[in-house]
Amino acid sequence: MAKHMMTLTVNGDTYDLVVSDTQTLLDVIRDTVNLKGTKRGCTTGACGVCCINNSKGEAVLSCITHALEWHGESITTIEGLAASGELDAMQKAFIEFGAVQCGFCTPGVIMSAKAIVNKYPQPTEEQINAGLAGVLCRCTGHIKVKEAIRQDHGIREAAKNAS
Amino acid sequence: MLLPDHSYVKVDSLEDCLERLRENGEKAMIVAGGTDVIFNMRLKLFDPEVVVSLRGLEELEKVEEIADGGLRIGAGARLADLAENPIINSRYPAFADSIRAVASTHIRNMATLGGNICLQTRCAYTNNSEQWREGLKTCYKTDGNICHVLKSSTKCHAINNADTPLALIVLGAVLTIQNTDGSRDVPIAEFYSEDGMDNTMLKPDEVVTFITIPEVTDRTTFLKIAPRAGMDFSIAAVAARCDGSGADVSKVTIVLGSLSTHPIVLDKPARIVSEKGLTDDAIAEAVEQVREELGELTNLFSRTVYKKRMANVIVKRALVALREM
Repeated sequence: MAKHMMTLTVNGDTYDLVVSDTQTLLDVIRDTVNLKGTKRGCTTGACGVCCINNSKGEAVLSCITHALEWHGESITTIEGLAASGELDAMQKAFIEFGAVQCGFCTPGVIMSAKAIVNKYPQPTEEQINAGLAGVLCRCTGHIKVKEAIRQDHGIREAAKNAS
Repeated sequence: MLLPDHSYVKVDSLEDCLERLRENGEKAMIVAGGTDVIFNMRLKLFDPEVVVSLRGLEELEKVEEIADGGLRIGAGARLADLAENPIINSRYPAFADSIRAVASTHIRNMATLGGNICLQTRCAYTNNSEQWREGLKTCYKTDGNICHVLKSSTKCHAINNADTPLALIVLGAVLTIQNTDGSRDVPIAEFYSEDGMDNTMLKPDEVVTFITIPEVTDRTTFLKIAPRAGMDFSIAAVAARCDGSGADVSKVTIVLGSLSTHPIVLDKPARIVSEKGLTDDAIAEAVEQVREELGELTNLFSRTVYKKRMANVIVKRALVALREM
């Protein structure tokens, strides 16, 4: 099991990392970069709790991809949303609408929700459903999450109109 | 579940990749999206010594129009990008639907078309952790000599669950397969075998590099039945194609998937509707014949009786959809 040097930009900070062949991107985020927000669930791509955003703002799963695959790339994890200390509008919406219960899946759900609004600033019901289909919540369900995503859109619209 | 020990190699060109495969033979495995390979490695079903990564090779990500009106797609193109490709959506709507039917948005953001075509077959017995499998004897797929699904069987019955090949078969797509010696073109209809263990004609040193779809003006459709619409392997899926308009047709093609080790091109049902047209009576008569051509149906992932009924239902829906187009 050889080790290699790689560069990875996580939430705007660039890290030079020593990574082994068998490490997944999730292993590196949690154990090497030491950001524990991204969760380890099924590790087979079925549950979506390890969801992060790639440089295009799309939702991808960090548990089923080699870390070395991401050399030189830039990713955003849940910690990156509130890097300034203030919560992201999406996180505020999740709190306001009670879209969190036990919270284990929440980082994955929020990163999936961000990917939806990154791609569709005004997502339709269908687009929200498709964007959330790959991430499972076993306690609160997806209804509150969908309410939060729609409200997030409302908050940003209001901010735009006010300015 | 940690990944088994292996070395990872990122190649910067297709030549480099083919050379690595030639060097390592059966010990090597290609990864592009990773969604199927890493999943199988976690279950210790794949145990490659060398993983060769093709991800991000620009030459394999291109979608090009070719001279005779067809389309040439690189095997490394992401499903998410293909699902939004305007040419695919306008000219090959059934193919576009089959791409969107694959897994979830998250998976499609990573997975490639080549990966879906070469998708490993699945079995409810072997697709479990190593510890779970220890409770049973090993099967054909895990170096044993029994199939837990059909005990009397002499071959592996794991199911080919890929969706996009069905649409590609009805469209008459051709795969370009390359190794260091050169390349060969194989119609995708001939690509799959009836053995669940070794289900494609791909040799260890070969890679599917391009998918060429000819120009098609016929009506086409793709339908899938799965436990959850947004994220599941199919219980049954169908792609169908016909010429003519309304119920008036002269050639119908129907391909059923997720019911066997390989996509099934239905012969007699297609002939019945080709001769008699897409009338309610002819469709009912064709559907009656579907079971005859499915071979041994297993109870993998859902009950045999349910699968048999769903095969009929989905063929009927597809034929009606073609007529209404």
